[in-house]
Amino acid sequence: MIPADTVYLDYAATTPVDPRIVDALPGWLAADGAFANPSSTHAAGRRAAALVSSAAEQVASLLGCAPGQLVWTSGATESDNLAILGAARYRAGRGRHLVTLPTEHKAVTDAFRQLEREGFDVTWLAPSPDGRLSLESLRQALRDDTQLVSVMHVNNETGVIQDIPAIADLCRERGVLLHVDAAQSFGKLPIDLAVWPVDFLSITAHKVYGPKGIGALYVSGRPGSHVAPLFHGGGQQGGLRPGTLPAHLIAAFGLAAGIAAESMRQDRAHLARLRSRFQDAIRGIPGLRHNSPDDGFPGIINVSAGDVDGESLMLALEPLCVASGSACNSARTEPSGVLRALGLDDAEAQGAIRFSFGRPTTTSEVDFAAAHYRAAVERLRDIAPGAAA
Amino acid sequence: MNAVIDPYSAEVRRLFAAPAHAGRLPGAETARVTAQGVDIELFLARDGDRVAALRFRARGCPHVLAAAESLCAAYEGRPVTELRAFRAAELVERLPVPIEKTGRILVLEDAVRSLGA
Repeated sequence: MIPADTVYLDYAATTPVDPRIVDALPGWLAADGAFANPSSTHAAGRRAAALVSSAAEQVASLLGCAPGQLVWTSGATESDNLAILGAARYRAGRGRHLVTLPTEHKAVTDAFRQLEREGFDVTWLAPSPDGRLSLESLRQALRDDTQLVSVMHVNNETGVIQDIPAIADLCRERGVLLHVDAAQSFGKLPIDLAVWPVDFLSITAHKVYGPKGIGALYVSGRPGSHVAPLFHGGGQQGGLRPGTLPAHLIAAFGLAAGIAAESMRQDRAHLARLRSRFQDAIRGIPGLRHNSPDDGFPGIINVSAGDVDGESLMLALEPLCVASGSACNSARTEPSGVLRALGLDDAEAQGAIRFSFGRPTTTSEVDFAAAHYRAAVERLRDIAPGAAA
Repeated sequence: MNAVIDPYSAEVRRLFAAPAHAGRLPGAETARVTAQGVDIELFLARDGDRVAALRFRARGCPHVLAAAESLCAAYEGRPVTELRAFRAAELVERLPVPIEKTGRILVLEDAVRSLGA
């Protein structure tokens, strides 16, 4: 239950745990539940292993892959790192060229920067003005020594949806591995790895009403799509990601995936209605820039109000829980690199706000948010130099 | 650990939420300074050698807006000479303002210096 003194519209950051999962967790953790080590061969271990196996089937079903193609991790950040660092290092002897975009999540961009420090050559492809990756620019960037491309499915700041099937086809045609960060799309948009020739795909539970601390990396297993592990010890999960499996978290992830599979279509329709309602309500605010495309993921709306300080806008927006387009606590406020890459100037990026809606979001919350946003922008503009009167 | 604590004191929140001295004073002395991502405009109306009214308009972070409001509230009715002696350090300590934002509050001090210059 979201506290009554806040209106939570930051579902792209994380989601509350579904009540059905909250109810089930104590049973999994109990002495007669699935607390045991799933790698143990005794009865308690087998009980935990059965739960993990069932969860793997639920998650795999939503991805269109086999349960055995999933590696459990602590979340999408670890999955991204395992795929990018692991694949690049594993294939370093074949070539050291990699391709990604500056608009990727920090878990991806920082992993590539680490590889640059290790001597890899990274091509940072600029997106088109609409935030999408141009297939032609990708085609031109690929070289004989290119080993890996990493492109996110849905952008966490703007909701831009990349054409992953087409990108995957191109990469496969050129013999290059493709990693997809699907943290924002898993359980929300259809993903069909039985058809899409993707090699690695990162997902996490806490963006789909599951708990934090559990995620997965899909590894296709086709020849060449191997990763060097980041951790060592224990040998679990084929040595790719050793450590005792948290059966209760994996079970929760499985249940979250099962719920998402049942409600995905309904969720998308709900989010589309909320987006339309919100856009109608903020229409007419002078100088407003929409940073999310109309055909983007409907749960994410990013807007910039010119001539408004982003940090002050965030405070003025309380009790709304939303995300800003900048890091506000530094001496110099750093605008979002994603928005800057899309062509926004520093002021526009710094004043950007991301509203993200979720399954529990109500129309009254959206109406309140729109009215509150309009009022906050007007108030800050009224006290700014140059304001009329 | 990067856990975020509230970056704003109760005083900053109070001043930011209800800046009673925000707005312009027609016919008053004005000074406007833009630096460090901050834009501050001050309006001073005198009654002899005293500050009859002091108003501000500003674009900046909550600490800047709170500091401008605090300045105006504190110096109305006091001698202009005291206003001219204003130092940003007093607000940095009292609100308080994070050390990394001190430069922004100095912009307010510059605006005071520019009044009647």
